[in-house]
Amino acid sequence: MANYFNTLPLREQLAQLAQCRFMHTAEFADGVEALKGKKMVVIGCGAQGLNQGLNLRDSGLDVSYALRPEAIEQKRQSWKNASENGFVVGTYEELIPTADVVLNLTPDKQHTSVVNTVMPLMKEGACLSYSHGFNIVEEGMKVRDDLTVIMVAPKCPGSEVRAEYVRGFGVPTLIAVHEDNDPKGEGLALAKAYAVGTGGHKAGVLMSSFIAEVKSDLMGEQTILCGMLQTGSLLCFDKMVEEGIDPGYASRLIQYGWETVTEALKYGGVTNMLDRLSNPAKIKAFDLSEELKEIMRPLYNKHQDDIMSGHFSQTMMEDWANDDANLLKWRAETAETNFEKTPAGDVEITEQEFFDNGILMVAMVKAGVELAFETMTAAGIIAESAYYESLHETPLIANTIARKKLYEMNATISDTAEYGCYLYNHACVPLLADFMKGIKSDVIGKGLSLDDNGVDNARLIEVNTALRSHPVEAVGSVLRGYMADMKKIV
Amino acid sequence: MDSLTRLNDIHQNHILLTKATVSFDDRFTLSEIDWTITPEQHWVITGPNGAGKSALAAALAGIGDIQSGSIQGIPNNVEIVSFEAQAELIAQELKKDDADIMDVISLGTPVSEMIFDHCQDTELAQTLVEKFGLSTLVDRAFRKLSTGETRKVMLIRALANKPELLILDEPFDGLDVDTLAMLQAHLASLIDTVPMVMVLNRFDEMPDFITHVAYLDKDRPEKKRGDKQSGDKGRLTLTVDRQDNAAFNELYQLLHLKTTDLSVPEADPTNKLPALDPSQPLVKLTQATIQYGDTVIVDKLDWTIERGQHWQLSGPNGSGKTCVLSLITGDHPQCYTNDIFVFGFQRGNGESIWQIKQFIGYVSTNLQWEYRVSTSCKNVIISGFYDSIGMYTKSTDSQKKIADQWLKLLGMQDRADQPFNKLSYGDQRLLLIARAMVKHPPLLILDEPCLGLDDINRQLVLALIEKICQGSETTVLYVNHHAEDQISGIEHYLALKKNN
Ligand SMILES: NC(=O)c1ccc[n+]([C@@H]2O[C@H](COP(=O)([O-])OP(=O)(O)OC[C@H]3O[C@@H](n4cnc5c(N)ncnc54)[C@H](OP(=O)(O)O)[C@@H]3O)[C@@H](O)[C@H]2O)c1
Ligand SMILES: [Mg+2]
Repeated sequence: MANYFNTLPLREQLAQLAQCRFMHTAEFADGVEALKGKKMVVIGCGAQGLNQGLNLRDSGLDVSYALRPEAIEQKRQSWKNASENGFVVGTYEELIPTADVVLNLTPDKQHTSVVNTVMPLMKEGACLSYSHGFNIVEEGMKVRDDLTVIMVAPKCPGSEVRAEYVRGFGVPTLIAVHEDNDPKGEGLALAKAYAVGTGGHKAGVLMSSFIAEVKSDLMGEQTILCGMLQTGSLLCFDKMVEEGIDPGYASRLIQYGWETVTEALKYGGVTNMLDRLSNPAKIKAFDLSEELKEIMRPLYNKHQDDIMSGHFSQTMMEDWANDDANLLKWRAETAETNFEKTPAGDVEITEQEFFDNGILMVAMVKAGVELAFETMTAAGIIAESAYYESLHETPLIANTIARKKLYEMNATISDTAEYGCYLYNHACVPLLADFMKGIKSDVIGKGLSLDDNGVDNARLIEVNTALRSHPVEAVGSVLRGYMADMKKIV
Repeated sequence: MDSLTRLNDIHQNHILLTKATVSFDDRFTLSEIDWTITPEQHWVITGPNGAGKSALAAALAGIGDIQSGSIQGIPNNVEIVSFEAQAELIAQELKKDDADIMDVISLGTPVSEMIFDHCQDTELAQTLVEKFGLSTLVDRAFRKLSTGETRKVMLIRALANKPELLILDEPFDGLDVDTLAMLQAHLASLIDTVPMVMVLNRFDEMPDFITHVAYLDKDRPEKKRGDKQSGDKGRLTLTVDRQDNAAFNELYQLLHLKTTDLSVPEADPTNKLPALDPSQPLVKLTQATIQYGDTVIVDKLDWTIERGQHWQLSGPNGSGKTCVLSLITGDHPQCYTNDIFVFGFQRGNGESIWQIKQFIGYVSTNLQWEYRVSTSCKNVIISGFYDSIGMYTKSTDSQKKIADQWLKLLGMQDRADQPFNKLSYGDQRLLLIARAMVKHPPLLILDEPCLGLDDINRQLVLALIEKICQGSETTVLYVNHHAEDQISGIEHYLALKKNN
């Protein structure tokens, strides 16, 4: 199998990357009709599998689970998830031949083997669906010509997919049809009905392509989302300890700091996040982030280039083939870092203090979001996609760190994201070594110690203008506007 | 210990009601009143109509028959001004006429005699006569006065008689603005000399010097078969120290709910729920079973809820009450493995949970935990139209209007735009009940609606629920293990046992 993206001519590559359209509510008027009475068989009952299945069933659809034999025999967690929730569970042989839609919700790493196993069992004209396009785009999976291939990708962890549905809402979702596999022209109708079934239509659906989804998803998760937060956590912690700050305090400031500062990001973009700082701190954060962007830009470019060329997925697949040697080694290393080993101290940090004493963290988030967005759009990914895969998802990942530090983050994200995160972290820590030498506790740990908060008017105007005119802010305010019409939750 | 402190109280000139049950002509009974009034306190008695406010005031003046318990420490010189006392005085006057055997037309007792023969402080009486504007009427016959004028005479008599306890039942009723201000000022000048007890229907008329409020409510008689109709009962359900701001505000709200004429707002006329087949039950569970692994929580339960049958579901913790409810609401994953018929749907046949939920209003402590959204109070109510937590769609004008009516009913109209999560726990619960009821669902499920609430909030919630039960066709399913929190009108009971 060859990398699918690389088989396309440049014209087609660019056209696919540029696909992304915010769909109108009226386009979902048919609800789940296209899937009514059809048999939906989910393979895998993990984070996405279970939660999507619960939503689909509660939307009136017929959902059952096909698990691999070991999972059933050993009554593994996936088997328990499905059977305790009252779903029919069966083997591939029992269920796949009856399926009108097969939802492949196994880990991406397993997709080739899973799809190769189930494809011969699928009935003529059925539909195969994914929640991530890696298998199609990077591994070039060739699916039988009579089968329809779609993607419905919630832009949130599985637990959120369920929680938002239960409160009567949903999570933003990206849908796509694989053009090579749409024999009956029903792919879009099925994908839309599926998105309605999970509640995604209430939160906003982006009509995209497999390629745009994969290339932007990979870029976002390995750079700003996971890579930057991991690198920032380790560097900021070590710096604070070096500066004599109580390690318990440092640990808490970081563990909960990302969540707090990105909450402001979620509501009002980078601008609002920086507006939470005092004027002198804002200018400081801005300057730091400019410096960071200059240092890190080549790294962001390299990640995007490697993703586009297929170099990234190739090295990752080599590691898969090598029993995940690199991934497991890095995972062990993270567990041994000082930040990870130091529990958050029993001190109270007020919401504002996270900003005031975390100026560098704010600068890192700003630099990472803007760089990822700039790099993606420069590579032909449309702004809406780039926004969702950078700014929009950052608070969601920050929440996982708040729960249980980097361990939780890496456990929640996909293997692909984890692999990319480590690549980034390994390159970024040494890259920022010099920069970090100049950092003192005034920007991380203690806050600026100024006699007065005066700033130069001209400079403040310059900084505010730069913040507000960044393209991620323009598209962000439009998309958040759509969301705010529908969603007003904390 | 208790009797000792009580003894002390008596020595200190406290008025002490101990489990006092007082009946009034068989028509009304105050039951088991426990109440202490110390000399420096000034009370307002308040509560809904028919709760016995005037009866309690009268009991302090020695009226009514003490059936059991005791009333101690009432001073010798008690003055009461009330409609009943006024009526009696007038009746006495008329009787004097009847009793007149001489064939002369009686002029009746003049006002001056009525006042000055009765009071200890004639100088004060004279001043008050002037202040009340009765100077020109002193020679007139008492029985010729208007109701408002006789009321003034009574007030003057009471005030000028230097009472040791002054009881005023609706003293401000029917007074013009100037007289009202004058009377209030005069009462304020007495606060260090005489303890006062007032009955007031309207909270906003309460003078500033009032230190305590006693709240009476109608007692819900436990219906026992063979019980003779023994008339209405009233009970002193709470007393509030005015210094306690929070409690005071809640009392205000409670009184508002209990005394307002507002009824439950209508359903949205522009968006009606689909009609249900009246011949079918609302809910029918057949051999319902909930099981986790080998642990059986609910075992083969058969349960049918017919339209208009109000149910109370009870059972100890862990007996599966909430599980059973979630089978009905569609929140339990094992809905799909049970034989459940709800609102015309046999579950598991392609219906969505939103099609089920549209027929249900639901309130529980859990919902309150989950309702952690930064949205306005008004939106919380409106979200009931959508069965959602938070609002994700633009609301219609009609929905907004209905939400406003609900806020008004709750006495919370000034909080329409305040964030829900900044409200007190009890206020949040009230709003969630309004949210559940806003669409007039065929079934209203109240899962321990009073759980975690203090006494007054509990009463607030029950008052609201009762209002709802009166003013709608909704069938109520009430889950509770507090026996005292009963809702009138529930006649079907299901008690779950704990499976081990
Ligand atoms: N996590 C996210 O935030 C997220 C968001 C959007 C999209 N996605 C996409 O959703 C898909 C599923 O991800 P996930 O996070 O839900 O995965 P997950 O939680 O790891 O669950 C995967 C499930 O697949 C089963 N499985 C593993 N290997 C298998 C094999 N070889 N054959 C058959 N079944 C196997 C596992 O059960 P047993 O091991 O017991 O068999 C498990 O239940 C991926 O394509 C991912 O990219 C994830
Ligand atoms: Mg992603």
